Amino acid sequence: MENKKKSFYFEDYAEPELTNNNKFNIVKVSLNRVAFLSFIFFSLLLIFSVKIIYLSLASEKSFYSNNIKKDFVKKRRDIVDRHGSVLATNVILYDVGVRPKLLKEKEKKNLLIKLSLLFPELDLNKIRNKLDKKDFFSIGKRLTPKIKDQFWLMGNKAFVFDPSPSRIYPQKNLFSHVLGQTDDANEGISGVEKFFDKNLNNEDKINLPLSLTLDSNLQHLIRRELVNAEADFHNIGSGAILMNVENGEILSLVSLPDYDLNQRVSISDNIYTNKITLGVYELGSVFKTFTIAAGLENKVINSNTIFKNLKNNLTCDKYTINEHDKLPKNLSAEQILIRSSNIGAVRIAQKVGVEKYRDFLNSLELFDTINFDLEEIGTPLPFKWGKCKLATSSYGHGITTTPLQLARAYAILGNGGYKIKPSILKTKTKSLKKKEQIISNKTSNIINSMLRKIVSLDEGTANFADIKGYDVGGKTGTALKYSSKEKLNTFVALFPANRPKYVLLVMLDEPKPAPNFVYEFLRSEKFPNGYKHKGETRNTSGWNTVVVAGKIIEKIGPILAINNLETSINF
Amino acid sequence: MINQEKWIASLPIKNTRFSNIKNQLDHDRWINTIPKKNVHSSMNKYFLITILFVCGLLFVSAVKNETRILQKEINNLETSINAIKYNLDQTIIDNEVITSPENISLLAKEYLNIYLVSYKRSQIKQIKEEVKKSNEINKTKKEKINKEKMKNLPANIKLKVAKRIEEKKTEIRKLQALYSNPKLIPAEIKTQVANQIEEKKTELRNIYRSPKNVITLEKVGKWSVVQVVKVFLGMPIIPGR
Repeated sequence: MENKKKSFYFEDYAEPELTNNNKFNIVKVSLNRVAFLSFIFFSLLLIFSVKIIYLSLASEKSFYSNNIKKDFVKKRRDIVDRHGSVLATNVILYDVGVRPKLLKEKEKKNLLIKLSLLFPELDLNKIRNKLDKKDFFSIGKRLTPKIKDQFWLMGNKAFVFDPSPSRIYPQKNLFSHVLGQTDDANEGISGVEKFFDKNLNNEDKINLPLSLTLDSNLQHLIRRELVNAEADFHNIGSGAILMNVENGEILSLVSLPDYDLNQRVSISDNIYTNKITLGVYELGSVFKTFTIAAGLENKVINSNTIFKNLKNNLTCDKYTINEHDKLPKNLSAEQILIRSSNIGAVRIAQKVGVEKYRDFLNSLELFDTINFDLEEIGTPLPFKWGKCKLATSSYGHGITTTPLQLARAYAILGNGGYKIKPSILKTKTKSLKKKEQIISNKTSNIINSMLRKIVSLDEGTANFADIKGYDVGGKTGTALKYSSKEKLNTFVALFPANRPKYVLLVMLDEPKPAPNFVYEFLRSEKFPNGYKHKGETRNTSGWNTVVVAGKIIEKIGPILAINNLETSINF
Repeated sequence: MINQEKWIASLPIKNTRFSNIKNQLDHDRWINTIPKKNVHSSMNKYFLITILFVCGLLFVSAVKNETRILQKEINNLETSINAIKYNLDQTIIDNEVITSPENISLLAKEYLNIYLVSYKRSQIKQIKEEVKKSNEINKTKKEKINKEKMKNLPANIKLKVAKRIEEKKTEIRKLQALYSNPKLIPAEIKTQVANQIEEKKTELRNIYRSPKNVITLEKVGKWSVVQVVKVFLGMPIIPGR
């Protein structure tokens, strides 16, 4: 009994121990599973927590941009004028393609019918051929969202829409030579678009437009007068630049012919070159002002210095220098400039001497390549100085420069002799006092009064620019082009002449005499009641470029005067 | 020989209280000594873990759902913002085209049957002069009004005002002279300022130590009167609400 009891006792005691061990193993296994599941759960929790944190911290444009129209556009800064008018901006245009493989024969016919109804301008025969033969073809490029929607609403599965960023220019032709163009990748290929390409693509400043110093209203008025001039003088091209003489800010830069920037036409013809910055020309008598200034600056003449026995022509090597008109034999330095005497200018240059004259022109940087805000910059043709070169260059022949450099040189003469850098990028204006003075105030003042007399006196060559109230001064230049022996007439005006604030250069390329044009002479001593003249056959700057410049000043003068009135600067 | 009696006597005395019935082997008692299966605690563990797991799953799905809603909302907002921006851009472009100088001059030609003449310099000068004149007239008008006001004041008041102005001016001058160089400030003024600072400090300390003492009947009365006045005037009792 005792044994049995013992055995019972031990068996009974041992059995649950065994069973307990098994159970423990089962629990162990299930615990592992739970641990695994909780690991997954915590991992998921971590992932979603990270996602939530990411969503709350991420910048707004870093996700879900694919569905949004504008975010995949390669951004490019807008360009605006000095008043904030948009000159260039970005839009999304669409290229629409067709995949004929996705269409059955019936569907192809339906598509053609729909296309003929919606887009009658499309060439259906071409499309039909392409539908039969090609795997893919383009049906329209650079389409506006409205036209793209018309295609989309046709509900055809074969259409493929490819959006692409594109640059548009609301002012069309107005700033074509300044702004330039962009390529299909939206990168600048000419003008401001190329020169400031990096700046325009700067993502940090993407919402800030690039401000130019140009004024749309002034640009339009100047361009309109130049276009009108083409009708009157039948010139093949023209150019004009308006610059602030104190800070070099360019308010207007026009070159004709121009082109609509939105058409994206390849401009390869020379006629489309930017005549103001890229064109390098022999500009004629406008250089006489520098000859007189060189004489004054080097103190070899004063305005009353008389040059006696001036001949009608001079010979230097094989070159013969003639006077353009019959002029008195004795002329003062001032009269030489007013009457634009070639021989007188030669005499003054000879008095100054080659080295001093060359140094003076070099100080005005007329023969270097100008540092400007455009890619299209011309380099004046190099030449060797000599006695004959001195003689011809004194009246602006045999030496070349760009109209932009000429305008800057006149601005320096007008502003008291301070060096300026022409610019089309709007920045904080700097005071003239801090700039380098290369010509004395005295010379500047004398030149300004002489230029005024060229316009105001009857014997001057630029009477048609004498617009009442604006105190215009300026110098004419008539030159022959090397290539065609046609004329290139220039007029550079500084106004108001007592303390110039603006320089305006107008240039007509190959103008013709205008016998049908009615010239209006204002009331003067010569014509007390005014005078209208028709049938003029002369083709010098005074008979065409000056007229155009006068009209321009008449139009832009009030705007400039009012702008200055608003800023309480005397004009 | 072994003394049996002696050995027997060494034997322990028989426990008279011993009961066979009592000392019989109790199975139940033994069974109770066997460690019980830990069924209860393992059940608790499973229960807790399952609840945790289910809660976790619910939480994860809720969070996921919430993020999805958030994402959708963000996406919608982004799209609407961009649509507005796009429309704004389009409108600006339209405006630029419509108001471009070329378009305006074309429209003027088409619809205005008048010949537009530019302002002349003399006219602009005239405008400038007119503006100057009107400014001058306004200035003189104001001056006149002020003078008349001054005239209407009695002589006593004028004198008093003049005196006050003079006094203030001299005070300001003195203060300016005094504070222009702090090193020159007399020791008396410095001690006065120091005393004032000390007084303020002690006041603050008292307030922190026994704030109840700060609230006196007088102050409460004043405060309640102010509140009543505020209510009558329609001013908010708690500022900023």
